Amino acid sequence: MQTIVVIVVISASLLIAGFSYLRAKSLGKEARKKEEQVRHRMYELAILKEISDRIGYSLNVEKIVDIITASLEQFIPHSAASYMLLGPGKILFKVNLRKPVSPLFIDEVRGRMLDSLSALLEKDLSRVSVEATVVGVLTDEEAAESVNSFFNIPLVIGGNVVGVLTVADSAEGLYKEEEMTLLYKIVGQASRAVTRLEEVVKTEQRKLSAMVESMADGVVMIDKDYRVLVANPSAKRIVGFLAEEKPTIFDFIDALTGVFDIKGKLEEALKTGNTLAMDNVAVGERVFHILISPVSGHGTKKTELFGGVVIFHDITYEKELEQMKEDFISMMVHELRSPLDGIKKMSEFMGVDPAIREDEKRYREYIKLIHEGSSEILELVNDLLYVAKIESGKFDVDVELADIKDIIKQRIRFFETTAKDARIELTSLFDKNAKSEIRIDPLRISQALNNLISNALKFTKPGGSVVVQVLAHKQGQSIESEAQKVGIKWFLKDKEEKLKNYPDALFIAVTDTGEGISKSNMGKLFNKFKQFESVVRSGRRGTGLGLVIAKGIIKAHGGIIGVDSEEGTGSTFYFILKS
Amino acid sequence: MNKKPDVSKAAKKILIIDDDKIFSKVLKDAMKVHKDGKYTTVHAVDGEEGLRKAKEEKPDLIVLDVVMPNVGGLEFLKNMKSDKDIPKIPVLVTSQYSDMEKISAATELGIKGYLVKADHTLDEIIKKIEDVLEGE
Repeated sequence: MQTIVVIVVISASLLIAGFSYLRAKSLGKEARKKEEQVRHRMYELAILKEISDRIGYSLNVEKIVDIITASLEQFIPHSAASYMLLGPGKILFKVNLRKPVSPLFIDEVRGRMLDSLSALLEKDLSRVSVEATVVGVLTDEEAAESVNSFFNIPLVIGGNVVGVLTVADSAEGLYKEEEMTLLYKIVGQASRAVTRLEEVVKTEQRKLSAMVESMADGVVMIDKDYRVLVANPSAKRIVGFLAEEKPTIFDFIDALTGVFDIKGKLEEALKTGNTLAMDNVAVGERVFHILISPVSGHGTKKTELFGGVVIFHDITYEKELEQMKEDFISMMVHELRSPLDGIKKMSEFMGVDPAIREDEKRYREYIKLIHEGSSEILELVNDLLYVAKIESGKFDVDVELADIKDIIKQRIRFFETTAKDARIELTSLFDKNAKSEIRIDPLRISQALNNLISNALKFTKPGGSVVVQVLAHKQGQSIESEAQKVGIKWFLKDKEEKLKNYPDALFIAVTDTGEGISKSNMGKLFNKFKQFESVVRSGRRGTGLGLVIAKGIIKAHGGIIGVDSEEGTGSTFYFILKS
Repeated sequence: MNKKPDVSKAAKKILIIDDDKIFSKVLKDAMKVHKDGKYTTVHAVDGEEGLRKAKEEKPDLIVLDVVMPNVGGLEFLKNMKSDKDIPKIPVLVTSQYSDMEKISAATELGIKGYLVKADHTLDEIIKKIEDVLEGE
């Protein structure tokens, strides 16, 4: 009985042990499988990471597939790893040979790949030229194996098929699910990375092009084949194209004929790799500093030339300033040095000429000339001070209720002798409806009137006339008919419409029978730069700043100043003060 | 016995073309006073009047300002050169500052000298005028 128990116990133990063993055995298999999976996953990840590290931030698909095909050897057996990429007008075909196969093997791979690419793109590619490169081991003319294992993966970037990647082997039955999955993962990871990078680049490109579009400088960019890639709105405006036009390099060559040889300069820049600079290039009415540079990208090994860029930087204002400085010096020399030198020489001569003391008439004449000369200098210095004050915004007016009629009458009296000497009739004409009491700075308004009247007298020939007229304007009324009613003759043809709706105001105008001013010159009258220039070119006396100052005075009163003219008839300089 | 008129003692005529009233006046008076009848002077305010007076007065020398309204100094020189009625008259050009562009333009048109007014005393200017006249 005891024996039976022992046997049973042993049997049971054995049974348990046996079960346990079997159970343990099955558990160990599972664990090993899991471990294997983990290892495989880690291996996969390591491969993916390694390839991704090698690819880096490259956007060059060719380079990426090169890296992938070169790396495949470690984990997928193959005789050849190849890729086909769609290039501009051709197909790139590259084979990375691991085992010496026959050229026929390569031809077969090529044929199969082309077929699958054709199918993927739904396009007949038979006529597209294929540029083939074979790297790796040498082909073996003797080898007879054909392609027995073959696996194709489409290369997709941003949703578009750009090529195929293939592994092929002469051995049969090689590519199972595992290898295929891994290859899909590798290629998938690479194309996702490229797609993401491309998106980033596109966003950056959009930012960049928005920046280029809004630049004040004209920018024209061309590729290596002189195709215009970018011509920003400024460039089109500068060269004279419409905003919607898409000018080609030939359009630029035509438009810039006689200015500079844009293609020749670009060729030079691209050839030498140097930036060319051209100063003071006049395009239309403006002056530019033009830079022509080659555009190249810095790759890992060598610099790749993409094309060239032409930048038009407008320096008209700087040139104007420079010119104004020169004109200003010329003007100062003439207007300041002349009377000062004259006064100095005259006083020296008076000192050494004893006869002057007995000659009362000559003595008085000298005193008069010295007085005139010093007044001219003072006037010049005052004018410059006024302009400086106007420009710095420190020009204040001291407004009080004053009678504009009285002010005008005083001015007429002041200029009476000058007008008489020049045989010019100087008169005034008042609108009876005009309320002559107005809130102004009488001193400053007198000064503005002085400048307008002296100008009118200067440009009117003997026998002509200058008339100062005052008209009361009601908003919405035609100025011409208002003027006709009171017998005032205006030359306000162009601005009639614009001024019609001006609020109730007093129009004060100085009209002369001078030679008149051309349309192009009218715009320059109130411009400091142009006035210096005109004084210097004409050799006329004075600063030419009278109108600039008058404008400052009227603006400080919240009014407007303007001019209208008819060549051969005369000019009207007017200012408007709100009543 | 008839004495031949002494040509060298006859007063030389100077035409001053200058819009600067003070300078013109003082130069005129200085030449008259200091040189005691050696010179007579004529004045014109711009190139236009200057050309007319050059024709009428036939001066021995012209003192010409460069910067003047209407017809300036350079234009006067061009006009005078192309005018067959005007004999060759030596010209001394004056200015208020040395503008190289104008100096070379004037030199090309054939002038006897160029001086910046403020850089010279009245006596120096007269001396220069006399030098030019003597060289003729």
